[in-house]
Amino acid sequence: MSQLFEFSGDREASSAAKVRALEALLIEKGVIATDSVDVVLKHFETMAGPFNGAKIVARAWVDPDYARRLVEDTPKAIAELSLPLGMAGAEGEHMAAVANDANVHNLIICTLCSCYPWPVLGLPPYWYKDPVFRARGVREPRAVLQEFGVQVPATKEVKVWDSSAQIRWFVVPERPANTEHLSEEELAALVTPESMMGVALVEAPAA
Amino acid sequence: MFTRFEEYAAASMLGAPDSPPRLDGKLLFTNRWERDVFGLALSLSKAGCFEWEDFRQSLIASIAKWEAIECANQPRWDYYERFLEALLNVVETSGVLSRREIEAIAAARSR
Repeated sequence: MSQLFEFSGDREASSAAKVRALEALLIEKGVIATDSVDVVLKHFETMAGPFNGAKIVARAWVDPDYARRLVEDTPKAIAELSLPLGMAGAEGEHMAAVANDANVHNLIICTLCSCYPWPVLGLPPYWYKDPVFRARGVREPRAVLQEFGVQVPATKEVKVWDSSAQIRWFVVPERPANTEHLSEEELAALVTPESMMGVALVEAPAA
Repeated sequence: MFTRFEEYAAASMLGAPDSPPRLDGKLLFTNRWERDVFGLALSLSKAGCFEWEDFRQSLIASIAKWEAIECANQPRWDYYERFLEALLNVVETSGVLSRREIEAIAAARSR
C-alpha cells in the first residue's frame, strides 16, 4: 500500500519491536502458544471471507443448474463446493442467496444490527452499520444505489433484503458481458464484496 | 448470534470508534506488527486473560487520548499504535503482566 504521507520509520520499527517483545514474553510465560496469533488470524485470512463468496458466485455463473440450486437451498449448494470447514456451521446454515437478473436488482441491508454473512463476504464495510444507510436503504433504495454509482433502470425492480440472525442474505450479481473466455477462477477474481451486497455491479476486466 | 469468538470480537468493533482498518471484506494490515498485535489481543482475550469489552474500552480511551492532543503536537494518526497502547494497558490492569514487565516492553528498541 502506498504511503500518502511522510511517516517516521522509527515509529514503525519501535512499534514492531514492542510487539515482538510482548509476544515473546507472553509465550515465555506460557500465557499463549507460539502459534496462537496465526491460529486466530487464520479465521479471517483463510476460513471466512469474501474469497468464499466469490467462488460461489463464479460457480453459479458457469453452471446454471448450480445457480438454481444456490437460490433454492443455499446452504446445501454451498456444501457442494470444497470451501473451508466451518462454512456450513452456525452462520453458514442461515445464509440465503438472491440472484440479480434482467428484471431484478437485489440489495442487502440490516435494519436492526449488523447481521452479515461473514463466511462468504468477510468483514462488512464501515457504512454497513451506519443508521443512515440502514434507514435510507429501505426507504429509497434507488437513490442510495445511485449514490454508490449503480443506476438501476426504472423497468427493473429493486428488492431490499433485511438480514437478521435468522437469515443472512447475499447477492449473486449478474455476470458481466464479454467474459465468456474467462475461467471460473478468473471470474471469481472479478467478484467484490460490494457486488455481493448489491451496492455494486461486477465489471468485466479492461480489454 | 455469533458463535465464534473471532467474529464476535471483530463484529463488536464495527461501526464504532475503535473499528479496525479493512479493505474489500478483509482486515487491512500495512505492516507485519499490526497483524501480530491484532492477533495477540484476540488470542489473549480468547484465552480468558481479559474480557474483549475491557480491551475495547481501553482502545476507545487510547483513541480519545490521541484526539485530545492539540493539533500542533499531535502525532500522525496510526490506528495500530493506539491498539498496541490499549493492549499494553489492559494486559497490565488485568494482571497478565506486571508494571515492570510492561515497562520493559515499552522500552524495547528495534534490533
